[in-house]
Amino acid sequence: MSITTLFDNYSEFRHRHPDGDVPHNPYKWAMAIDLDACSGCNACSVACYAENNLPVVGREKFAHGQVMHWMRIERYWDHDGSEFPERGARYLPMLCQQCEAAPCETVCPVGATNHTPDGLNSQIYNRCIGSRFCDSNCPYKVRYFNWYDYPSTDNVWPAEMNMQLNPDVTVRGKGVMEKCTFCIQRIRGVELDAKTQGRLVRDDGELQTACQQACPTSAISFGNLVDPDSKVHKQWRAQQVDLDKHEQAKDQEEGGSDLRGYRIYEWLAPYPSIMYLERVRESEI
Amino acid sequence: MMNSDFDRRDFLKVLGWGGTAVALTGCGNGMVESGKETIVSYTEATDYMIPSISVYFNSTCAQCDAGCNITGRIREGRVLKLEGNPKSGINRGKTCGLGQAGVQNHYNPDRVRAPLLRTGDTGEAITWEKAYALIDEKLKGVSGNEVAFLTGSMSGHTKVLMGNYIDSLGSKNHFVYEAIGPAVVRAANKKSYGVEMPRLNINKAKVVLSFGADFLGAWVSPVNFSQQYAQFRKGAGGHQRGVLVQVESKMTITGANADRWLVVRPGTEGILALGIINVLGDLGVNMPGDIAAAVKAYDKDRVSKDTGVSAEQIGKLATLLKERTPSLVLAGTAAEGYAHGSQNAAAINLLNQVLGNVGKTVEAAAVVPFPQMAPATGNTAALKMLNDGLTAGKYKVLFSYGANPVFTSPAGMKFKDNMAKAGFKVVFAQYLDETALQADLVLPLDSALEDWGTQVPEYMAEGAQINIRQPLMEKLHADTRGIGDILLTLVKQRRAAEYKPFDDYYGYLRAAVLQNKAALGGADQPDNDIFWNETLSKGIINFEGAKHASLSVKSGAAGLSLPAPSVADAEYPLQLIPHVTANLRDGRNTNQPWLQESPDPLTTIVWDSWMEIHPKKAAELGIVEGDIVEVTSRSGSLKVQAYVFPGIHPDAISIPLGRGHEALGRYAKGYGVNPFQILDMVYEKETGELALHETRVKIRKTGDRVIVVKDEGPVGGNQVGQKIVPEMFTNKVNLSKEI
Amino acid sequence: MHSFLRLSFLLLGFFVAGISYAAEAPPSDPSLLGIDGSAIDKAARARSDTGGSDFNTWWQKYFAESTTEVGPVVKQPIEFPHFRHAGDRDKGGMEINCMYCHTYARRSLVAGIPPVYKCIGCHQSIDEVRNKPRIKKLFEYWDAKKAIPWKKVNDIPDFVRFSHERHIQRFVFQLNRPVQQVCGYCHGDVKTLSVDRREHLLSMGFCVTCHEINHPVTAPGGTPIGNQDYWYGMRKPVEDSSGILKAQGPNDCSVCHK
Repeated sequence: MSITTLFDNYSEFRHRHPDGDVPHNPYKWAMAIDLDACSGCNACSVACYAENNLPVVGREKFAHGQVMHWMRIERYWDHDGSEFPERGARYLPMLCQQCEAAPCETVCPVGATNHTPDGLNSQIYNRCIGSRFCDSNCPYKVRYFNWYDYPSTDNVWPAEMNMQLNPDVTVRGKGVMEKCTFCIQRIRGVELDAKTQGRLVRDDGELQTACQQACPTSAISFGNLVDPDSKVHKQWRAQQVDLDKHEQAKDQEEGGSDLRGYRIYEWLAPYPSIMYLERVRESEI
Repeated sequence: MMNSDFDRRDFLKVLGWGGTAVALTGCGNGMVESGKETIVSYTEATDYMIPSISVYFNSTCAQCDAGCNITGRIREGRVLKLEGNPKSGINRGKTCGLGQAGVQNHYNPDRVRAPLLRTGDTGEAITWEKAYALIDEKLKGVSGNEVAFLTGSMSGHTKVLMGNYIDSLGSKNHFVYEAIGPAVVRAANKKSYGVEMPRLNINKAKVVLSFGADFLGAWVSPVNFSQQYAQFRKGAGGHQRGVLVQVESKMTITGANADRWLVVRPGTEGILALGIINVLGDLGVNMPGDIAAAVKAYDKDRVSKDTGVSAEQIGKLATLLKERTPSLVLAGTAAEGYAHGSQNAAAINLLNQVLGNVGKTVEAAAVVPFPQMAPATGNTAALKMLNDGLTAGKYKVLFSYGANPVFTSPAGMKFKDNMAKAGFKVVFAQYLDETALQADLVLPLDSALEDWGTQVPEYMAEGAQINIRQPLMEKLHADTRGIGDILLTLVKQRRAAEYKPFDDYYGYLRAAVLQNKAALGGADQPDNDIFWNETLSKGIINFEGAKHASLSVKSGAAGLSLPAPSVADAEYPLQLIPHVTANLRDGRNTNQPWLQESPDPLTTIVWDSWMEIHPKKAAELGIVEGDIVEVTSRSGSLKVQAYVFPGIHPDAISIPLGRGHEALGRYAKGYGVNPFQILDMVYEKETGELALHETRVKIRKTGDRVIVVKDEGPVGGNQVGQKIVPEMFTNKVNLSKEI
Repeated sequence: MHSFLRLSFLLLGFFVAGISYAAEAPPSDPSLLGIDGSAIDKAARARSDTGGSDFNTWWQKYFAESTTEVGPVVKQPIEFPHFRHAGDRDKGGMEINCMYCHTYARRSLVAGIPPVYKCIGCHQSIDEVRNKPRIKKLFEYWDAKKAIPWKKVNDIPDFVRFSHERHIQRFVFQLNRPVQQVCGYCHGDVKTLSVDRREHLLSMGFCVTCHEINHPVTAPGGTPIGNQDYWYGMRKPVEDSSGILKAQGPNDCSVCHK
């Protein structure tokens, strides 16, 4: 879209949380992550480094909080005063939630992050001016800023390492914001293939994100939420989680729901595209 | 389908990589001027070679020995990413983080690029002809007994060729050494079940009771077990969600996923197993009289006192195991790491027998019908033998491949000094690691992504299979060689006539596979080329209906004797648990920056080592996070940052293995400490393997403090009242409607 | 800061590019456009001479470059005569389809330079020109099995992903437009050129100009073209006087930038 189109359709591009007037068609990419299956092994995170040309920032910059992991595993303990964590640790893969009404989009002064028709929250590096307003406004803290010129001055990819860089993904320069894209290069690749062949993207593993493909426990499922045959659609439906609600009916029931689906910070009404399934623990032991 | 070998090799050439010609910056229009960049095309191209379209080739991961089948994504002749091969019986299309980083092993800037000959303290680059001639010369007049080979775990045709070379020298000194292989459990399994590595059906179990087996992290075949674990949790096969109970002294990633994580006093895993058998007897589970007699002394209260696990918890666990069958009991790294490790493992295996799991969740694995290709495994006992020989000056020539004993052996072994006593030391290496630095001649190896080979996984998940390893791109460096090619050249020095038909290892491999075409599934394919290409295309040779080894279960408890828990040692009050992490294992992959920057799943620490200490103990000693402490054992000391960690027994501390390199490369050298160095040389009583968990230490605050570089943020993993990772209990959740 | 400036220049560039194209036709003689002493450099120098601060100089040079559509003639290892291969028969050309040599264009992001063997495939049986210097040079590369180091003339920044495949599929195979016309949208009238030259400044403004034009998405009578009844990512289609639905090209940033 050109700048003029953007300004003409400002409201549509900035505030496109789902409603009856603007249905997603034919795609709405979404995810479901089963925290009972997730073992916190970090394979997804390393796969993301491999797929998306993420720079390794090194010890010192990591200490400054400048790590660039688009996909990170958060680890929580039960702070219940017991001597040992007898119920294990709680793991959560945290990545951009691709919100439908994304808080980051509304604050970008140049429209560098905006909503795509297939429900992604896109980040356009060459338009980004590095104001970092989006980072401040993101409740999930999944946006990462290039404080340094990693490819050249930091030499993150010295000779031969640079041959691994994925040519489908831009290597970001200094001063731009970046984040998980749901592997947009893979999405666009299969979308365009499907278009050329006059069909829709199939839900048979034709499209997988890098994290999903690596995940040893298959905890991540990804697909087209508006396709009633897709696994993601069925999972969201079975868990009674609606994309366009910020309070789910099942949570209003007395005694709470016996279903596991939830979205993080749902009550802030960003309408995230990732549904998590609560972890489960055995009550008999 | 490729047409001929020539096309394929041509394809793997790197296209259009002019070094500086490729712009890396994402922003900036500097390179868009006409005539500033070169476009290079192939001189010849087949139809499937299309710039910007990826092609996929199958191969085998070499980051650890599990033998996962991988698929490399190749574009313009460069391998960009590795994925799991969906047709694999082992990893079924999945990979772990370690496997993902395989490309960084291949493209690593610190690889050795030419044969290096020691001149004083430096290595001088020499030609391969000279290197081969030198080896030939040094072997002249040396008897077979005076040559020793030290290798990591080996299998497939490389192992056969290595064996033939060793044989051609008249030597019998092949020492197989894996620093962290499950050697004691193998031996205990052999005794209990008749096989070293049975197939473990986690997915069929309703309860998994694991004694320190980190099967989701670093144990045996983690990617396979992770997938089984997912099925186990989802209740595959119609049964309810599986329950995981983990017993260990230091929480592993598997423990972090347990429904109940039980902390035990270090070394008392076997006692707990016998205690559970005792309670099972009380609950009316049938068992042979001798077993009942053997566990009679292990009543709940005594076991509770010995292990620190409450009697109530033992009772609940036994009830659960009795009610939900089949279950699966695993003996892992933490159980075997003691001087009585074999006894621990035997007691745990006995629990499996009492529960009737053998034959249900513990099954015999399928066997590849070529015993000569089966993996050679070994551990510190082999290294100790070699070390003794070196000490005595027995060996004039030493070859080392796939092991780094200078880094992974306890300092007390003085392996570095003893290695110097061998007259001529040849190290096959991809990096100048600590052992390669001691060599007289370093022969640079191809990476696993540019080499040919076959591999037989030790843990066979589904049916028997031989893995094919093939180049995913052309060689990066002109002067590296595949291990197979080097061995072939060397063996030709001895047995020229026998190996004359083979120009290179590729030719050898092809001939070897075609010779056994019928046995390898090609009985119906008359055309050799088609069969060979199909085999390469699949990347796996499956043996349909392969024979399974039979389990010969030793019933009874004869010979079982577990020592009482160790009494407190006034001088060295703490038990050191050297922790095997999923990413760094024995340290051979530490020079891959993705792994250095991938946070440890439990502490979220990166780029450094740490010492885990329980909050209670830390408070007692006045230690807070980031304190630099000196950890001293009888064999040495090191200084490391402290991390206060709830998942560890208060009488133990834990330091991860794999870091603390003094060599290897820019991403490894100087980061962290190496706990291998301070291990006491205590050996397991029956197998003679190093007991990794038997070192006792004392700690002292040095007064220095650092900021721990970690990912978890200032609140240290507190959800601060937010609903971030909520949990449900099985009596509340409704899993039946899930997809 | 610099990115912000770049954005504003991009905006200015749109307008300026449009104006200058009409006002300043490219010189017909390619020799005027050499790298040294080229029209671009002259124009840039002329402007920068009047500038004061360094910033002004840079700004004006940038401005000047943005106004120039046609790129310089690039010296290639072999001066390849496009007019001979693709030109009209009555002007001595062979009328070879672009996609015969640039075979990747219809199925890949890049159009690709043909492998050397493709040239040889024909030229080994064209004895008449076998001894001409350029052909001799071609065979030298072939005999040495070396790729010809062609220079890139049409380049776009690395943060842009342009798919030849989609454009060829859409306009050649779905709308049945002539290949040379379709390629010419961006590459100009290649059949009149010797070695290629950048015919348009391949700026985002240039791309968007075309993407904002309504192109047919149905045949007359409403049959969807290419078996597609959806045109995702486009503005709502409009119906023209002949009953054909037309829609703009994709206008979502992440189609090209990722």
